[in-house]
Amino acid sequence: MENLEALVHGFGIALSGNHIFLMVIGVLLGILVGVLPGLGAPNGVSLLLPLTFGMQPVSAIILLSSMYWGALFGGSVTSILFNIPGEPSSVATTFDGYPMARDGRPTTALATAFGSAAFGALAGVVLITLCASWVAQVALAFGPPEYFAVYFLAFASFVGMGGSPPVKTLVSLAIGFALAAVGIDTVSGSVRLTMGIDEMVKGVSFVVAVMGLFGIGELLIAVEEEFHVKAISSKVEWREVFRTLAGLPRYSWALLRSAAIGCWMGITPGGPTAASFMSYGIAKRLSPRRANFGKGEPEGIVAPEAADHAAGTSALLPMLALGIPGSATAAVMMGGLMIWGLNPGPMLFVEQKDFVWGLIASMYLGNVVAVVLVLLTVPIFAALMRVPFFIIAPVIVILCTVGAFSVSNSYLDVMLMMGFGVLGYLFKKLHYPLAPLVLAIVIGDKAEDAFRQSMLMSRGSLGIFFAKPLVTTLILLGAALLLMPVIWRTIARMMQGSQVKP
Amino acid sequence: MVSGRSLESATALITGAFGAAVAVSSLDNGIGWSAAGVESGTFPFIVGLVILAGSVFNLVQGWLHARAVVLGPSELRRIALLFVPAAVFVGIIPLIGMCPAAALYVFGALAWNKRGSLLVAALAAIGSALALYLIFEKTFQISLPRGVLGALMGF
Amino acid sequence: MSQKPKFAAIAFGLSIGLTGAANAAWQPAKPIEFIATAGPGGGTDNFARAVQNIITKYKLVEQPIVVVNKAGGSGAEGYTYTKAMAGDPYKIVFGTSNAWTQPMVSKVAYNYTDLTPIAAMVQDEFLLWVKQDAPYQNVQDFLKAVAAKPAGDFKMGGAQSKDTDETLTRMIDKAAKVKFVYIPFKSGAEAAVQLAGGHVDAHVNNPSESIGQWKGSTQRPLCAFSPQRLPDGPKVTATQNWHDIPTCAESGLAISQFQQPRTVWLPGKVTADQAAFYVDLMKKVQATPEWKEYIERTSQTDTFLTGDAFSKFIKDDIERTRKVAADEGWLIAN
Repeated sequence: MENLEALVHGFGIALSGNHIFLMVIGVLLGILVGVLPGLGAPNGVSLLLPLTFGMQPVSAIILLSSMYWGALFGGSVTSILFNIPGEPSSVATTFDGYPMARDGRPTTALATAFGSAAFGALAGVVLITLCASWVAQVALAFGPPEYFAVYFLAFASFVGMGGSPPVKTLVSLAIGFALAAVGIDTVSGSVRLTMGIDEMVKGVSFVVAVMGLFGIGELLIAVEEEFHVKAISSKVEWREVFRTLAGLPRYSWALLRSAAIGCWMGITPGGPTAASFMSYGIAKRLSPRRANFGKGEPEGIVAPEAADHAAGTSALLPMLALGIPGSATAAVMMGGLMIWGLNPGPMLFVEQKDFVWGLIASMYLGNVVAVVLVLLTVPIFAALMRVPFFIIAPVIVILCTVGAFSVSNSYLDVMLMMGFGVLGYLFKKLHYPLAPLVLAIVIGDKAEDAFRQSMLMSRGSLGIFFAKPLVTTLILLGAALLLMPVIWRTIARMMQGSQVKP
Repeated sequence: MVSGRSLESATALITGAFGAAVAVSSLDNGIGWSAAGVESGTFPFIVGLVILAGSVFNLVQGWLHARAVVLGPSELRRIALLFVPAAVFVGIIPLIGMCPAAALYVFGALAWNKRGSLLVAALAAIGSALALYLIFEKTFQISLPRGVLGALMGF
Repeated sequence: MSQKPKFAAIAFGLSIGLTGAANAAWQPAKPIEFIATAGPGGGTDNFARAVQNIITKYKLVEQPIVVVNKAGGSGAEGYTYTKAMAGDPYKIVFGTSNAWTQPMVSKVAYNYTDLTPIAAMVQDEFLLWVKQDAPYQNVQDFLKAVAAKPAGDFKMGGAQSKDTDETLTRMIDKAAKVKFVYIPFKSGAEAAVQLAGGHVDAHVNNPSESIGQWKGSTQRPLCAFSPQRLPDGPKVTATQNWHDIPTCAESGLAISQFQQPRTVWLPGKVTADQAAFYVDLMKKVQATPEWKEYIERTSQTDTFLTGDAFSKFIKDDIERTRKVAADEGWLIAN
């Protein structure tokens, strides 16, 4: 109850005209950087940071975190409309969001995404409000073996499902792992897999790979198969937005499950990307409509979006409570905290009550502001689908090019992106799944680091993964998820067998 | 005309070559166990072998089971119409810089489709170059490539 | 080491340039790019942005300044990029001692001799940290506990591999005749959290990386690797400030000095005038109150090495690091 009192006090701080204005500015800028591929919340935060030095710390963090919310929402827009995920965590949204938009229902797809995202974010904030200090303790229990177990769990829940040929899935996953290993290796400090190109020491950026594989690859598929986006009525479809939102409670089980997965992965070091993939994978296994997944099933949008935002929100907690930045954006914000003379860490909650609870209150308000603004933009974005293909195609190529370039001001990345485009086309054409590749690029090297750190700690004994209850549970859970499809099939076959017998 | 067989084979050869390159270049980093733990080449080496083995499997599978024709002449023409201008756009960036290249690309794409006048195409081209400049260069302070031309003009 | 004469020549050119800095002939005529060899929020990024803020605030340069992060490959991305920009006086790269230590231990495509040294502007300190509830109250107790256990039972966390943290760990090994297992993490902040969770036994973080954890009573410093105690200042915890922490040398761990310089470089092949302009600029930055405030906030030590002093510093540091690296078998054949 102490927390609730503090929260009410926090609302008192956050609810001023000035702060609401800052939220609107922050959210709008966030949507802009979220929508533009290549730019992300870190760009926006580092752009705004110098402007905030004159402000009160509370006002400054409200501005920056609002931008973070805006960018989280904006990242889903391009995923759904053009199959270009702006952030790693919106990749899973493309699986059903893009087919739905292509099917002539961009408004429904966007509204579903935003509605479930808002639910996920609110679940994350409620978690922070109610059990902040407990959550911080949970995060501390994670050492390298536990990190590895969490990544293993994420892979296990996602791989091993889906209709692609198993060997093609394996090749795609392994290519992702290899790409993740390019550059300097954290554990040994040595340079790996640069193939004689000096600049490759920086590694292969996720954004570059995804712009090519998804953006350019999909564009090539689109011209080749000569599909036409189904005609969309030119009316602004407000009613559709509301109807979609009103229909969301039908997915309440999926929403709750996804928010829970998201919160769990946000607190543990899994992060939003692993959360959204895992949530999608689990939804696809459990949903009664699993056959529709990948063809524009609303639950396939609900699951990754709710988990992504729940994780993105609850990931701010370890940053404040422990001083671990969970993402690049959080790292920039942490730099900001220090410039304002605040030290992220366990004492922040004790010493800076006003600041912390003002921030938490602003998370509630900021999300509400973000949802309202972003829903207002739905018809505008949906209208983009009506732009003729011969205009939109060069625009997508230019945006992917600038996006790939701006990751690290490198022309090599642009050429890599085009190469990934061709690869993406071939893979899609020949039914190689792209998702395992992307998941492996994002968390492959982290999983490898965690494994090798564990091996250093145990001096080469795999027993470390069974030494403590937490890590053992996670590993067993992962193994169970990995084997589940096989077990299901066996059970199903046995059932059929017994039915056939009289 | 491209047959399913050749497309499958080509892809399997690309992935296989990548796998082989990964495995071979990991040998430089050392594989196995050393005083500093699992050596840095171990994991990529295994991954490289997996890619290689999988590609060989896919090569055989593709050869045996692929559909006869997947890309006819009209499909190839459409792909070329999208991909060639895009590749030219990317190719001329180091020469004339990002914004001029984008302007030429947009102008070319609109003019080729012959819907609307050349004036509209020119305006759209200048507009998109300007938008790029204002958003990326001015607002987010990302210095876009100037190209050889930009360097000559002293930007 | 064949590049030595060239390096000395540049340093010599610098000192000439310095004397005439007041009426330096060269002025920047277009926007300047600051390249931070670390990700947003890291120590090097904060350093570059602090310099940028001061220059912008006092309008020390007419041209706009943009900070670009090139953090890939533990900073190698930024240095490699700068090497390719030889002769361009509008690219300033901000880094640490990794400019010369990284090429010793990994096959990166640059060496510090490809760059023009401008200055080392600040030294970050290192301390030895243990978990708050650890039984040892001083370095002696701690090292005794380490020596009593079989070699490799105590785990030292740190940022990156074969970089400053691991070098310092190996120096402690030697000085105290013990053997730590070194577990590399991505950053010092990560190592600090691992210590708070009890997954490692110690780390050697910079003050700014662990001040929050110290305040929050999850970990505490045993000693500082500096020649004298850190400067007096406000209390960090209820009872202690940085000055209350003994130096490692005075508490019986014979490593009297280990610091991390924050360095500034231009690409190679720039003119002496251009280099002199930036040396002068950095001097002006260092004289501002905002700079003092930055130093205090991050508990670093103010310093300004340029010209011969800087090259001597690099030479000494290379010698020391090479010794450790050679013993550990890290050196790569060039």
